[in-house]
Amino acid sequence: MISGKLQFVVLVAVLVYFLVLFYMLNKKRLSLRYTLLWIFSGALMLLFAVFPGILSWFSSMIGIMTPTNALFAVMIFCIIMLLISLTAIVSKQTEQIKRLTQSVALLEKRCRELEEANPAHTDGQEVRETVAL
Amino acid sequence: MKTLVIIPAYNEEGSILNTIADLQTNACDVDYVVINDSSTDRTKAILREANVNFLDLPVNLGIGGGVQTGYRYALENGYDIAIQFDGDGQHCAEYIKDLIAPIVSGDADFTIGSRFIKKEGFQSSGIRRLGINFLSALIHMLCGVKVYDVTSGMRAVNRDLIAYFADNYAQDYPEPEAILAASMEGARVREVSVQMRERQSGVSSINAFKPIYYMLKVSIALVLSRFTFRRRAK
Repeated sequence: MISGKLQFVVLVAVLVYFLVLFYMLNKKRLSLRYTLLWIFSGALMLLFAVFPGILSWFSSMIGIMTPTNALFAVMIFCIIMLLISLTAIVSKQTEQIKRLTQSVALLEKRCRELEEANPAHTDGQEVRETVAL
Repeated sequence: MKTLVIIPAYNEEGSILNTIADLQTNACDVDYVVINDSSTDRTKAILREANVNFLDLPVNLGIGGGVQTGYRYALENGYDIAIQFDGDGQHCAEYIKDLIAPIVSGDADFTIGSRFIKKEGFQSSGIRRLGINFLSALIHMLCGVKVYDVTSGMRAVNRDLIAYFADNYAQDYPEPEAILAASMEGARVREVSVQMRERQSGVSSINAFKPIYYMLKVSIALVLSRFTFRRRAK
């Protein structure tokens, strides 16, 4: 059984966690679509902190001696899921950046050729250097 | 047939103009485009001064992303054949007509310039040959296509594969993976005998990294892509 002391600490920690999360969401430093998984794992922790009986039942069901260890197991599972989702986001963004880079190069070439064909518009030089950054 | 030579270039200031001169004298009926992959040396200035047809990537993408830009360019401009050709002077333009002949005649969709058919010219070191033979056997096992020079960067594809590669091209060490991907798409892959030179300047994209990492990454990528692709009917 989880001690009342631990239950209290977890409860406070989860509340602080949610405060930080919602503060950052409010300040638009986190976007909601990437925050849902964090909210779900926080909700799971909150559930365990309020009803420790669920954790005891869960740990005896899957054969873990102490509910605290079951808590760790659940937390690690949540963290792994979060990391996988982060890798997925990074992969998607890498692909997007690659496509954008290629499009910029293709457009830059057309732009350069247009400028060469119309010397009147060559003051685009500065713009081009900015794009190159 | 409208043919484009795609020349990826990263820090090739010492050899890029020789490569283009070689193309203009020995393969004068093809167009070319150089992909400057954010070179940190004078490559871009040289290309501009010499009035070379080039694309300038604002961010370094590596060989896969660079070559893919060339395929997108080929697709946008309606080319029938696209050829990959290194900017470091390893490849000889005189073999381009042999390379594209099976595509022009419709006998192949994808041709690879191979050093190992007649075993002439520069042959690469023993330990590298071992790695290349291993990857060659792995590709043969995974999709039934036997290609000897799997890491060769001299290759040509037809219109369908231009469109396919413009959309899907492996990123880190793409040469062996592209063979597998194309054959899973139902492409007819054929090797054509060519001779290569030792690079004139610059550093190999493979040499710069640890060979063990290269072998592991490519082997895993090949096995994984074999099981994530769905084979198309030939």
